[in-house]
Amino acid sequence: MSYIDPAMRDMLDTFVHETETMLEQLDEILLESERAGSISEENIGGIFRITHTIKGSAAMMGIEGISNLSHAVEDVFYILRDDPSKLDLVFDTIFDLVFQTSDFLKREVEKLQEQGLDYVPDDPSGLIQKLRQQAAILSGEGAAGGAEHSHEENAQSGNENLARYKIHVFFSDDVQMENLRAFMLLTQLKGCCDYLSSDPENPENDPSLSEEIAKNGFIIYCNPSSSIDEVKQTIENSLNVKSYEVVDLQEHDEAEKESEQGEGNVNADSGSASQQTSGGQKSSSKNSKHSLISVNQAKLDQLMDLVGEIVTAESMVGSNPDLRGLKLDNFTKSFRELRKLTNELQDIVMSIRMVPLQTTFHKMERLVRDMSKKLGKKAELITVGGDTEVDKTINDAMVDPFMHMIRNSMDHGIESPEERLAAGKPEVGRITLSAKNVGGEIVIEISDDGRGLDSEKLLAKAERNGLLTKPMSAYTDKEAFALIMAPGFSTSEEVTEYSGRGVGMDVVRKNVEQIGGTISISSVKGQGTTFTIKIPLTLAIVDGMNISVGKTIFTLPIASISQSFKVNDPKQIIRNTNGTEMILIRGECYPIIRLNRYFGIPGGAEDITEGILIQVNNNDSKACIFADELIGEFQVVVKPFPIFFSKYDLKRRGLSGCSILGDGTISLILDSNNLICEL
Amino acid sequence: MNDTINAGTSYSSDLKDRYLLFDIDDTKYGVSLEYVLEIINVQTITTVPGVAHYIKGIINLRGKIIPIIDVRLKLGLPEREYDDKTCIIVLNVNEVQVGVVVDRVSEVVNAENSQLSVPAEVGEATSRYLSSILELEDKIVLIIDCEKFFKSELDYSQF
Repeated sequence: MSYIDPAMRDMLDTFVHETETMLEQLDEILLESERAGSISEENIGGIFRITHTIKGSAAMMGIEGISNLSHAVEDVFYILRDDPSKLDLVFDTIFDLVFQTSDFLKREVEKLQEQGLDYVPDDPSGLIQKLRQQAAILSGEGAAGGAEHSHEENAQSGNENLARYKIHVFFSDDVQMENLRAFMLLTQLKGCCDYLSSDPENPENDPSLSEEIAKNGFIIYCNPSSSIDEVKQTIENSLNVKSYEVVDLQEHDEAEKESEQGEGNVNADSGSASQQTSGGQKSSSKNSKHSLISVNQAKLDQLMDLVGEIVTAESMVGSNPDLRGLKLDNFTKSFRELRKLTNELQDIVMSIRMVPLQTTFHKMERLVRDMSKKLGKKAELITVGGDTEVDKTINDAMVDPFMHMIRNSMDHGIESPEERLAAGKPEVGRITLSAKNVGGEIVIEISDDGRGLDSEKLLAKAERNGLLTKPMSAYTDKEAFALIMAPGFSTSEEVTEYSGRGVGMDVVRKNVEQIGGTISISSVKGQGTTFTIKIPLTLAIVDGMNISVGKTIFTLPIASISQSFKVNDPKQIIRNTNGTEMILIRGECYPIIRLNRYFGIPGGAEDITEGILIQVNNNDSKACIFADELIGEFQVVVKPFPIFFSKYDLKRRGLSGCSILGDGTISLILDSNNLICEL
Repeated sequence: MNDTINAGTSYSSDLKDRYLLFDIDDTKYGVSLEYVLEIINVQTITTVPGVAHYIKGIINLRGKIIPIIDVRLKLGLPEREYDDKTCIIVLNVNEVQVGVVVDRVSEVVNAENSQLSVPAEVGEATSRYLSSILELEDKIVLIIDCEKFFKSELDYSQF
C-alpha cells in the first residue's frame, strides 16, 4: 500500500514542481536576509506565505510530515509577522532551523519525484519540536498552542454586511487544487484589504471543495484598505484566474434593492468594475501579465533536434546536385524565403532554451554559507553577471562542476580565519563567481583569495599516485595545476565530508568538455586560484565555412574567420628557425597551420600557392590555416564526437565536434582557439 | 525438459545463447547477439585524426555518428582492402554504439553451455578479448567479449 493516494498521481507532478519553486524562493529570501543580518517585513510575509501554501498543498496530498513541518515554520513566522522586533531574540537559531527545514523539504520533494507513489516519508518531528520551542519563546511561555491556530480565525465567518465588494472569481479550467488556489488568492488579498471573508470559508482545509469552486467559482467579500483597483490588480496578477466579476454591494443595494445578494450572477455594474480575463490571452494590453507555461524539457530537446534536422534538410535541398547549373530564379527566391523562416525558427527555439545563470549562482551561495559554518571558515560568495543566459542543457551541466569547484575552494583554498589574519589577509575569505559573454562564448570564472596551489606539492602527490608521464622537473606550473584534473587525484590529505574523494576535478573537466567547453587554472601561491571555464553559447548550430583538405572536410566557424586569400609567391612565406612557417599580413606576423600536416591527412595540397590561406583571429590568438580549397558557407548542426573518442581529447587537438552535411557526409568542426594553442 | 522451458522464457536470455559468426581470414569469430544492433555494408568512413590506428573513423548512420573499429587492426592482423563482402556490424555495448569492420558475416548459431569452453590463457592479442571458445560440429569459433574488446576506449569515459 503506497503512502500517497493513487488518485493523487496526476497532482503529484504539479505539487513537486510548485513546491520546488517555492523552496527556491524561500532559500533566496533566507540568504538575502541572513546577509543583511535582519529580515524585512515583506520577507517575513514571504516566508509565511510560502510555508503556508506548502502546508496546505502537502496536507491535501496527504503528506503529513511536510505539512506539519511547514506548519511549525509558519507558526513561528506568524508570530514574527505581528511583531518583527521579537526576531532579534532568536535570529540565528531560527535561521538555522528554517534552513534545515528547507533542506528537509527539498529532500522529501526529491524523493517524491524519484519514487512517485512508492514514496516513504521521513520523520521531521525533531525539527518540529525545535520550531515549536522557538515559537514558544517568541510568544511567551505557554502561548505557543494558542498561536498555532489563532491566525486561521482571520477569515472569520462571513458577515457580508461588513464588506463593500463582492468578487466572484473563476479559475482556469483544469488547474486542479482549486481550493488551494482560492486560498492563495485570499492570502494575497489580505495585504490590501481591511476586511476579507470568503464563501466557501477556509477553502484550504477541505480538498473536496475543489470541485465546487471549479464549477461555481469562488466568492470573496472584502473591504479594500485603499481602493478596489488595488484588489483588482492583485487578482489579475495571480496565476490561474480565468475571469472575475466585482460587485459593489453598496451601490448595488441602493440601485437595485430587490436583487438578492448571495447568488453567483448578480448583475454587475458592467462598466469599470467588471472585467473579464480569459485564458492568458488578454485583449487589454495594459494590464496583461506574462502568461507562462512549463514545458517538459524532453519536448524542447526534441524540438531542437527537429530544427537541427530541418536546417540539414534545407541545405540538402539548396545544394542538391540535381540543381547544379540550372537557372532557377523563382526557386532561388522561394528558397531564400524558406531559409529566412528557418533562421527565425531556429532563433526562437534557441531563445526558449536560454535561462539565466542566476538560479545556479544562488545555489552556490547556499553552499558557501553551509560550508563556512561547518568548516569554521569565514567566506563570502560574490556573484557577477548572474543575468548571463545560457542554454538550459549547459546550465544543468554546470551545476555539478560549480559545486565541486566551490567545495574545493572552500575546503582547500580558503584558509582558517587565524591563518588568514596571520598572512595579512582580510579575515573573511572571498570567492567570486562571475559570468560574462565574450564573442559567442560564455566565460565563467571561479576565483578565491585562498592559499593558492602549490605546484611542488601537486607534483609530489601526482608522483605518489603514479600520474606523472615525464620527469618532475619538466613540468611547468600550468601543467602541474592541470594535474588536479587528472582522474584519481585529490589534493587533500584527509577525506572530508565535502571534497577530497579523488573524484572531483576530473569530473568537472569531463562535464565541461561534454558540453564542448574548456577549463584552465591559474594560481599564485598565497594569493588564490582562478578557474576559467569557457563554454559555447549554444551547443546546437553554427555558421561555418566548409574547407577541404585531401578527402577530409572541415568546418571552421565563420565567427573566427577574418579573411581568406591565395599566396601567389612562395617567397612571402617566412621560415622560422624551428621550421614553422609564417606570413606577414599588414605588418603582423601570422603562423601558418597546414591542416594536412597537422592532422596527418594524406593527399592535401603541399605547394602553398595551390591551396588557400584562411586568416583566423581569436581574442588572444591568431594564425593562418592552410587548406586545399573553400567549399562554401553552411549552417551546420554540431554533434559531439561519440563517447568512444573522449580518451583522445580531440577538443584539445583542435576538433570540437562533427556535423552531418547536406549530402550525408561528415565534416569535422575545427576549434581554432585550441588549434592555435597547440602550436 | 529444461530446454523447452528456457526457449520461451526471456527474449534477452534467448539472444544471449545465440551468436553471430563472422570471418577474419580463415578464422571464425562470434559475438553474442545481445550486443548486435544491425549489419550494414561498408560506407564512406570519415577519418578522425589523432586516434588509435584501429579506429577507422566515424560514419553517419541515419543521422547518428558512430565510431568504426577495424577488428583486424585491433587484433593486430595486417590491413586488408575492403571488398563487397566486407561488413560493418553495429554493436551496442553498455549503451554506446560502435561499428566493427569484419571480412565477412557468415551465420547465426545457437550454442549450449556444454559447447563452450574457457579459452587458454595465452598472452596473444587475440585471446585477451575472448570470453569463450565455441565448438561446433565442423568448426571452432572464438567468441569475443565485447566489454573486454572495447575496454580501453570505454573505461576512460566511465571513471
